[in-house]
Amino acid sequence: MNPVARTLAALLLLSRAAAAQDSELAARLDKPTLIAVSAIIDSARLAKLPTKPLHDRALEGAAKGSDGPKIVIAVHQLSVRMGSAKRTLGSSATSEEIKLAASALELGVQVRDITRLQSAAGKRGVTMPLFVLTDLIAREVPIPTATDLVLQLSRAGVKDGDLSIFQRNVRADIDRGADPTVAATTRARGLVLRNSTPSKPSE
Amino acid sequence: MSRIARELQKPVRLDSSFDSRVMGAVRKLPKHSRFGLWSRLTTPRSVMVSPLSWGLAAAAVAVFAVMGTVNLAGDVSRTAAPLFSSSAKAQPQRVQFVLVAPDAKKVAVVGDFNGWDASHAAYQAQHRGGGVWSVTAPVPLGHHRYSFVVDDSLWMPDPTAPRATDNDFGVANSAIVVSNQE
Repeated sequence: MNPVARTLAALLLLSRAAAAQDSELAARLDKPTLIAVSAIIDSARLAKLPTKPLHDRALEGAAKGSDGPKIVIAVHQLSVRMGSAKRTLGSSATSEEIKLAASALELGVQVRDITRLQSAAGKRGVTMPLFVLTDLIAREVPIPTATDLVLQLSRAGVKDGDLSIFQRNVRADIDRGADPTVAATTRARGLVLRNSTPSKPSE
Repeated sequence: MSRIARELQKPVRLDSSFDSRVMGAVRKLPKHSRFGLWSRLTTPRSVMVSPLSWGLAAAAVAVFAVMGTVNLAGDVSRTAAPLFSSSAKAQPQRVQFVLVAPDAKKVAVVGDFNGWDASHAAYQAQHRGGGVWSVTAPVPLGHHRYSFVVDDSLWMPDPTAPRATDNDFGVANSAIVVSNQE
């Protein structure tokens, strides 16, 4: 396909996506809420923030039967958090990374720690590390401990698949009654040791 | 000094081809930039357009015209489309959702991958017996928030999955990251 046709095809896809999103919002929100949410989404688009999470948050609020003002506030707050997250991660961050960094910031993770995590993750991306970090914090592992553990795992080059298993194991330990900090620290130590000395038996 | 003055006072004689040589050199010079753009815009030229390009251009104009009309009127079509079809880069993976709910009559999965729509056909769980409900459905790559809806009214997070941290509407969600490795 020649460049003109490619550009036009991309424009068509984008306009279709935007139209589909608009129609879903219009079908689920009352008019004042739709106008307010659309304005927030337009501002986010101008700021080059991902707009789908905002659209999804509005649909979630409508599905849960929340009233209009609550939906507008939730969408606005998410937009503000994503703005901070994008400034922290830089312009090359993916939509997933921005969403998760916004969640981490909301939980109280420091901006400098997100930057360190991003730099430790390197080309692998920071999506899974941020996902694990926010889950650990939600499971009541203290923020500095959780941040330090995920940083260590990232610096040790632990792959996303292993991070996911780590997360599952910690969750299972906590569900069985383990102390969240002890469970996370023990599992992380084992994974770091295994990753740093692949030829030797792990802990 | 007087010899130099005499030499300068002599009439200058140009040969007959001087004019044509000067004009030839001028024509070879690049055109002035002020007239370059104008010249490019006004000079007739042939442009090759394939039928596909022409068709796509016409379709794009039509779409933008329709969108503009919709926005001006403030009334939007109510046709819904699955969200994951709007993202070209997302390659949905099949994910199994399981909930144990012995007393349930109906279980559906809702999330940001299906517009939080409990009536979405692809996300209706089936009763497998013994109170176990499950559905395997497409979910795009990336981080997602979701929940179960039992009997069209009760929202339940997935007890086996991580909790989503942001809870703006008073009902907790679960979180999942779908990657190529899974």
